[in-house]
Amino acid sequence: MRDDDIILLREPILTVAERCYLPQILDGVRTTLRHMYNRKKREQTVTQYPEQKRELRLDNYRGVHRLNKDPDGRVACVACFMCSTACPAHCIHIEAGESPWPDREKYPVKFDIDELRCIYCGMCEEACPCDAIELTPHFELVGGSRQEMIFDKEKLLHVFDETKALKPRKNPAVTDYGLTGGQSKTVARPNAEPKV
Amino acid sequence: MPAITVDGKKIECRDGIPVLQAVLEAGGDVPHYCYHPGLSIVASCRLCLMEMKLPNPQTREPEWVPKLFPSCQTPVKDGMEVRFDSDRVRGNQQHCMEYFLLNHPLDCPVCDKAGECCLQDYSEKFGHASSRMVEDKHKNPKKDIGPRTLLYQDRCVMCTRCVRFAQEIAGTGELTVVNRGNRAEIDVFPGVPLANPLQGNVVDLCPVGCLLDKDFLFKQRVWFLNSTPSVCPGCSRGCTIRIDQNENRVHRLKPRFNEKVNAWWVCDEGRFGWKYVHAADRLRRPLIRRGEQREGIRWEEIPATLQYQLEAHAAADRGAACACVLSPMMSCEEAWLLAKFVRRLAPSAALVPGPAPRVGDDQTFASGFRISAEKCPNRRGVERVIAGLGGTRWSWDELLANATAGSVKFAYVTGGYPSALFTKETATALGKAAFLAVHDLFASPLSDVAELLLPGAAWAERDGAFMNDDGLLQPFERAIPPLEGVKRDGQVFFELFGQRGLYRAADVRALMAAEMPEFSQVYAPRELPEHAH
Repeated sequence: MRDDDIILLREPILTVAERCYLPQILDGVRTTLRHMYNRKKREQTVTQYPEQKRELRLDNYRGVHRLNKDPDGRVACVACFMCSTACPAHCIHIEAGESPWPDREKYPVKFDIDELRCIYCGMCEEACPCDAIELTPHFELVGGSRQEMIFDKEKLLHVFDETKALKPRKNPAVTDYGLTGGQSKTVARPNAEPKV
Repeated sequence: MPAITVDGKKIECRDGIPVLQAVLEAGGDVPHYCYHPGLSIVASCRLCLMEMKLPNPQTREPEWVPKLFPSCQTPVKDGMEVRFDSDRVRGNQQHCMEYFLLNHPLDCPVCDKAGECCLQDYSEKFGHASSRMVEDKHKNPKKDIGPRTLLYQDRCVMCTRCVRFAQEIAGTGELTVVNRGNRAEIDVFPGVPLANPLQGNVVDLCPVGCLLDKDFLFKQRVWFLNSTPSVCPGCSRGCTIRIDQNENRVHRLKPRFNEKVNAWWVCDEGRFGWKYVHAADRLRRPLIRRGEQREGIRWEEIPATLQYQLEAHAAADRGAACACVLSPMMSCEEAWLLAKFVRRLAPSAALVPGPAPRVGDDQTFASGFRISAEKCPNRRGVERVIAGLGGTRWSWDELLANATAGSVKFAYVTGGYPSALFTKETATALGKAAFLAVHDLFASPLSDVAELLLPGAAWAERDGAFMNDDGLLQPFERAIPPLEGVKRDGQVFFELFGQRGLYRAADVRALMAAEMPEFSQVYAPRELPEHAH
């Protein structure tokens, strides 16, 4: 951290009324009451969930994860472990294996996310070099047990199928290596030859 | 001792080494791929070039020469003046890095070397952030060159370290360079796979992710691994290694530089010989025979039980019919603690060095690297402990003969071998003892007849010191905790010895050194800086 990153704040000097404490409390109560009896404000602030639903910002809402599929319907993840490295809650558990496809080296044999442990910070999405893991606007997560809340690969791919209409997958950046991240074949330069 | 000036700073160095090695030993970092102190010098990567001052032929005044010199091929000379901190040297490094990356794929996310890759490190430190290459990359194929190794030719930087290793160190020469230019490839000869007993070292030597272990492939990203310095228990050479583990599972062993024993290398047998540590059939709980049945016993009850049994059998004749087998898989400290416990209660008890398994003959390679035929790490150390304590000493055969004759009443047998070693005959002989305690990793015919069966900890779960066949005492640390339900051998013996608290090998060694001065000094090889080879 550099010195100019640090912003020094001076503590405000309190007036006599503020130091007496009570006037401030009354001030707060007044604000609350004003909001309570102001019909217009109340309707703006309060949503009658679940009858009413809030409008979400679809692009960057951080709800349940999904694992994207490439245009061929295969999992786009290349099991590089960047998400589990970046994850501050240690909730992503991957087991990598040799991929069954000739154009790809590695793929996740197992991919588990503990949705109860997750703090929905979105670091996994940021770390992913092939945009395979994304957070969706879906937030209504329920489960009967802790085990049920550990989402495996199939479930995460299923979330993609469910949410792709709402939030389509962006085509990720193409690397020189070709289709590492499961990009669309029309965009990637297909110079990846079959493995020996 | 010559002194040279590097970037205006005077450094003292060993005689006869290249400038590059001198700078690395002084703590500097000069990028290099083809240079390795254990191999011959080819000066082919051109990354370590430096500027040097030579006398002008006309004026005889030393001045900077316009040409760059490879620092790996220039031996140090007293009074020499070189510099790496100049625009010309930096320019060369940047150009070289750009060339190395021309055809190198951007597949760090799926490459197992990522995180410990010299190409990554040097790109960041000495290279460019972007590539000017507009053509399609030439993609050399991936090859299966041996039973344990894969070659990703597209990642190769043609340093030929692996080729030189196979020729000079292993002496088998399976690898070679074929084709030229950007089509150059490392390859094996047809029908000759890379399968020599040292071949795993080419993976460590490879500065990039070209040569990879099939055993470790895709298992872990290297930044998750935690390293612990250790000593290989595979044979009596005692190569220094490090154990890389994550979440209490060992994932690989890597050699640690040791000028007295293994230099930079380790054999495949040791490198891949750790699998038994996580074997599913390891013993997991202490058992005691009560009547016909064997039932579980708590670890806290074991010192009292052993003490009672040993006292009972040693009461008449000071323990002349008691024997304690000290396995050559034990560390010196563990052997000493157990022997001390037995001798305190039974002064005439016999100490028996456990059987040392031998397979074939010693193997010596072109470079002098040796694999010992004796497949246990500490026979010499245990023998020293027994000799140091004096008293009755039986050989393993004498013990079996005495046991068959029925003159052994109490026996404590330690094992710890990577596989069950004790046979049915051993079990029949030692089964005649009135009380037999067996401390081992795996079930065997002997453990079936034991009165008291203690599960042991594998070497990666223990700490102590092994004495190799040259008499060099080398400490090793524990990398992982023992299996659930198992107690570290050292801790068990520490409690038998009558101590409370945590067993620490160094403290026990200090106690030993008071009686046996040869255990006062351990040899720990010097640590090399990150890019020093």
